[in-house]
Amino acid sequence: MKTNLKSKLLPLLTASALAYSFSAFAENHEHHHHQHETTLSAPGLSTPSTDSVFNITDSWTAADGKAFQLSKLGGKPTVVAMVYTSCQYVCPLTVQNIKRIERSLSAAEAGKVNFALFSFDPQRDTPAKLTEFAKLHSITSPSWVLAQGSESAVRKLAVTLGIKYKKVQAGDYEHDATISILDSNGVVKFQADAMNKNINDATDALKALLH
Amino acid sequence: MLVLSSCLFSAAAVSAEDMVLVPESSFTPFFLKRDNASSSSAAATKISAFWLDATPVTNGKFQAFVNKYPDWHKSNIKKIFTDSHYLEHWQNTQGSADTADLDKPVVNVSWFAAEAYCEAQDKRLPTTDEWEYTLTDNDRDKENLQQRIMSWYSVPNKELPAVRANPANGFGVFDLAGVIWEWTADFNSYMAPPDSRNSGDKNLFCGSGSLNASNLGDYAAFMRYSYRESLKGNFTGKNLGFRCAKDAK
Repeated sequence: MKTNLKSKLLPLLTASALAYSFSAFAENHEHHHHQHETTLSAPGLSTPSTDSVFNITDSWTAADGKAFQLSKLGGKPTVVAMVYTSCQYVCPLTVQNIKRIERSLSAAEAGKVNFALFSFDPQRDTPAKLTEFAKLHSITSPSWVLAQGSESAVRKLAVTLGIKYKKVQAGDYEHDATISILDSNGVVKFQADAMNKNINDATDALKALLH
Repeated sequence: MLVLSSCLFSAAAVSAEDMVLVPESSFTPFFLKRDNASSSSAAATKISAFWLDATPVTNGKFQAFVNKYPDWHKSNIKKIFTDSHYLEHWQNTQGSADTADLDKPVVNVSWFAAEAYCEAQDKRLPTTDEWEYTLTDNDRDKENLQQRIMSWYSVPNKELPAVRANPANGFGVFDLAGVIWEWTADFNSYMAPPDSRNSGDKNLFCGSGSLNASNLGDYAAFMRYSYRESLKGNFTGKNLGFRCAKDAK
């Protein structure tokens, strides 16, 4: 195997396949896959469970300009997505799909759920911009929070939710469009492609947490 | 040449606790930048000057961190921050590093643990561009470098050596290749211009990505980007460690 690589003609995709049989790769692949302030709901447990995203303590700024931490989402299940407001296509669709999930709930159920949008874009998504975005999407319910954070807070949340992204030319972001559903303790219970028009699975997962 | 590079190294390494200043430059990432919806280019990315640890973080240094921040002890670490193999090579009853391993690079650490370590030193993880740029060594000895990296990738893992067992590169940085793989801050970046993803077909991604590489001969780079692409923040690996960086400002 090692001598094969001397050939400069080896197609890249073959190199990729080979890569996975190299011991350095193979061993590294022994992974185990698991998985004055704005208040949305009653504060969660003071000590979050050890697999909760509430263990991430970065401070964000909500659209109302107040400080916000993930643990503020405790006490109710939460529908979470990462977006940025200058995004032309994927993010508005993500928001529309989350709103469809919200509409699938009864008024009583919807009152027991948080909806949270975190921005990829620390430079442009000021609280004012987030407020404007909420208005544009007719987000008026107090169950929603839109927040922006530092570059490192954004990176940490994205890594935690398994969301890949990259800042590209002209300040745009390429990113996974993922809807995550957290239980009231901040444990990720469900994830789906936000572009998926069928929201039944997400709605079922959310309703299961309400009963 | 040898004399010159060792001078450079000793001059650089005395500052800032074993960090090396990597000067401002421009760097053409292995995967191309996306200019707009339909085109991408190999235009250079600007790299601002930054400090980089001269060596990977060792078991000894990571032990000192764990002692100071017991939340990161292997018996206390929160599940969301790691898989079940965190520091599994620290096998004594206290869950601490073996004294024979103190100068070896720490491995079996998740991205979250690496990130927390760097933050505790008032540092950060290097970006992928910074790390890759430092590895290129300003194209000094380019051919040899690629060959050395490929021959390392193709041999089975051996017992890890202490850091600084091999010579530093021209920047004065040790052990970027030949010992362990390293976390970067933005390992979870897309490695390629994901035009295909907008059309909703994620399966096209790997194929189109490989065709958009800036240097089709650099298999080693392709493998590193593929490897990073396969990671998640809570993963650990027997050969996966890290080093920290810091803005030069």
